[in-house]
Amino acid sequence: MLAIAIQLFIAAFSSFLVVGLVSMYDPGTVDGHESGVAITGSDATPLAAVVDRQDGLEAAIYDDRADAHRAFENRRNDAVLDANRNDDGRLVVRVTAPDGGLETTLLVVQLREALETLEYVERVENADRLEQPPLSVPDGTDASPYAEFTYVVLLPLLLFLPAFISGSIVVDSLIEERQRGTLELLRVAPLSFVDVVDAKLVATASLAPLQAVAWLALLAVNGTAIAHPLALIVLVTALATLVVGAGGAISLWAPDRRQAQLLYSSVIVGALVVSTLLPEHPANTVAKFAIGHPTATTWLSLALYCLIGALAFASVRVIVDRIDSDSL
Amino acid sequence: MSGERSAVDRECRRTKRIVRRSLDSLRRIGRIARWEVSRSAGTVDRKTVLVAVAMLLVVGAVGLSVADDGLGLADELYVVGVDGDDPYADVVAESDRFRAVPLEDVEISGDGTDSNVDVVVTRDGELGYVGENGEQAFDAFRDAIESYNENRMAEADDEVAAYPVLVTVSYQERDPLRPDGTTSPAESDGTDSGARDDSSTESSPDDGAAADSDGMTDGSTADSDGVTDGSSEPTDETRDGDELRVPDVGGTIDERTTTGTPSTLSPPFPFQSLLLAFLFIVPMNFVVQAYGSTIMDERIKRRGELLLVSPSSRYEIVGGKTLPYVLGLVAIVVATAVAIGGGPLSVAAVIPIALVFLGSTFVGAMLARSFKELTFVTVTISVFLTTYAFVPAIFTEVTPIALISPLTIVVVDLQGDPVTAGEYLFSTATFYLSAFVLFLLGIGIYREEDMFAQKPIPAKILDAITSQIDSISARVGGHWSPFVLSILGIPFVFAAQLLTVSLLFVVPDVVALPIMLVVAAAIEEFAKSVHVYAGFARGRFEATGRTAAVLGAFSGAGFFVGEKLTHLGQLVGLPELAVGTAAFGPELTGGVSIAVLAAVVLAPLALHVVTATISAAGARRGSIPYAVAFVVATLVHALYNLGVIVLVT
Repeated sequence: MLAIAIQLFIAAFSSFLVVGLVSMYDPGTVDGHESGVAITGSDATPLAAVVDRQDGLEAAIYDDRADAHRAFENRRNDAVLDANRNDDGRLVVRVTAPDGGLETTLLVVQLREALETLEYVERVENADRLEQPPLSVPDGTDASPYAEFTYVVLLPLLLFLPAFISGSIVVDSLIEERQRGTLELLRVAPLSFVDVVDAKLVATASLAPLQAVAWLALLAVNGTAIAHPLALIVLVTALATLVVGAGGAISLWAPDRRQAQLLYSSVIVGALVVSTLLPEHPANTVAKFAIGHPTATTWLSLALYCLIGALAFASVRVIVDRIDSDSL
Repeated sequence: MSGERSAVDRECRRTKRIVRRSLDSLRRIGRIARWEVSRSAGTVDRKTVLVAVAMLLVVGAVGLSVADDGLGLADELYVVGVDGDDPYADVVAESDRFRAVPLEDVEISGDGTDSNVDVVVTRDGELGYVGENGEQAFDAFRDAIESYNENRMAEADDEVAAYPVLVTVSYQERDPLRPDGTTSPAESDGTDSGARDDSSTESSPDDGAAADSDGMTDGSTADSDGVTDGSSEPTDETRDGDELRVPDVGGTIDERTTTGTPSTLSPPFPFQSLLLAFLFIVPMNFVVQAYGSTIMDERIKRRGELLLVSPSSRYEIVGGKTLPYVLGLVAIVVATAVAIGGGPLSVAAVIPIALVFLGSTFVGAMLARSFKELTFVTVTISVFLTTYAFVPAIFTEVTPIALISPLTIVVVDLQGDPVTAGEYLFSTATFYLSAFVLFLLGIGIYREEDMFAQKPIPAKILDAITSQIDSISARVGGHWSPFVLSILGIPFVFAAQLLTVSLLFVVPDVVALPIMLVVAAAIEEFAKSVHVYAGFARGRFEATGRTAAVLGAFSGAGFFVGEKLTHLGQLVGLPELAVGTAAFGPELTGGVSIAVLAAVVLAPLALHVVTATISAAGARRGSIPYAVAFVVATLVHALYNLGVIVLVT
């Protein structure tokens, strides 16, 4: 329960962060406030047309540059654009924006889009001087900017986190039994030591797919379609077995909790970094399954994870068989 | 004469004895700290070190090699149906994000909702999207076309034709708006552009009220303690960016002022605090893990008993065990600060966070019954503290709110702006006090009957509070303990309320204010009553109505005294925000009659006494009556707050 509560908290926290970050780069999502932009200079007209077309910007042409700046200082507008053509025929735009704040960030993002449109218009006019004229860019859709984030970051995070936490739980639980000496008590029970370790591994590893099912259901309720849920659950099970196996091996080998946790976390971090060398990043595998475009590599990766997971589990059994349980 | 001399002698001897005792105590702390270090160093065996070092090397090598081409998280995420000879096929080939499918293989179901592609480029060059993820794929494809165009332009020979627009951006500070009429209200509407929400809009009339009511101070000071501090000098010329308040991660200052094409325009990026939070706080997690383990180790197999029976007091034991970790954290903080170019101020701002980390881990390790629970406690602590430090720091430009987090001080320090002592105190005092109280509570249960017993966590929390009641009772008498403990609860109340304020800051006022009213009241009532309940539950107080009334009165009075400390917050100007008012009560306005002033001062006192007595009356009858009384007290408190806000505004 506590584990799930914490993960909920982490998920809420991370999505809060990202909603903040994404809305930074997508000013359209932050309300339909219009910023006034004063436009001045010899080539104000084409610029004003482009600026007016941009969402959230409203252009006003000033003939006198000083007037525009005075209006900026008095906050009648939020930015001053001074457009003049130089000797090469380039349009030089001097932007004066207010110093500081989220508003400036949003404003500059909007201005950049407007200026990029202007650049495109100018380029098309120059098309005869370019070897490859620019391809026409279609208008954007009103797709949610979080949709891709959900598939690429949030979903992998939600699926991998339970596996890592399961591994940590195994380390804690085995090390604690060793340090408290309660493994001795378990050995009196009519169970082999292998059975005891197996039971612990299976119990904690099975938590991860259960949580994965819950997350997938929650996402589906929230309108995020998951194309291959079964493949994802198999993937999580395989990863959880792998991680829990590694955790089990570490806790049998390390002398106390501090070192076990240190080793466990460095192994996990190491594995995460090394996984970027794979032909397909695990998070990418998850995203492809979820969005419904798995390739041959994706299926192969899934098979690979299943294989490694099984191997990890088997090797823990071998380790348990080999070690002298009295030495624990 | 001789009498005087003997008095001086006695005084001398007493001083010497105190000095000797504290030296002894320091020596014991030092010895325990040395043991802690040598034992930790001793138990880390070579194999572990080797594995950890090998891991680090692998991580470093691989990390460097993949740092260039990104993680590839979104590789081949979408499928585009396009013919091989279409110009858009090159876009697909160039972008990692897409996979191309020839048009003849494209299958679209009859109703157009299902397809094996997301985006289709028809033979006559039209673009369209299908399926549930079509829209997002289309947007991504649009970005891909833009970057494809960008790459073609970069290859073009005729640079003037390829880059026909040049942009220079300069950031210019504007005079803050004067509330006393230099700028008309119509103009002030123009200031809240972009992302500002309702609460800051409403704060501008508040600004005016605050400035007007401060009859003694003149208009210029009213300006300078506003939201935009330090910018009151006239700025007609353009600043070149080295005094920017907004941290810029995306580009250096040079990039911001040099001329470039529109696409090189990097907006100021106010999220440096995210990086800071992680740079400073991630290493803390590792240290805290080890610290939690060592405290927990003491509690396993009664190992800590040996130290407990030694002549060292528990303060010395905990001090000794904590000292190495404090020093380690200070070293890490200093190293991080040096690495990112922060000064002593950054270090001074982060150290209180480290102390709270240690303090809460210590309490967590004292309460947890197993390593598993400890892991959860540590994770919760680090997530909570990261939120607390990071979320307010997002709003660095709305100074009063952002100052809740010491990270804001770090951001400001990195920008080279000055920080006043008041601002430093405002953001760190809560942390210092919380760390102090946490250690006090933890040390309270650093004793045989709690360390080695498997008690439920709530029972241990009650024990921790009861041990504080005992130590206060031993010094000043039983009835004073609710008074003192209510004051000690203030930093947590303050922290909890500040966190609520900063989380609700982004929510519209209509929603935020009612939530804030109830939550603030609930937090305060809890802080006023939980120790009274602990006292009753552990039989420290006689369970009579009279005792409950007396304890309630003391608790309420203590909280009232402590709450006056939150007026420190008013110094920095937090109550100018409407949400802040709900949490901390309205500002005292000058120029009112003595009777009103007395009412303003005495009304909260009466309120605290009444509500604390209500919950104390419930607490003496057991846990369920306590819960009911707590709810009643919260409602009374919330209604009072609402009444005051309605009256004042």
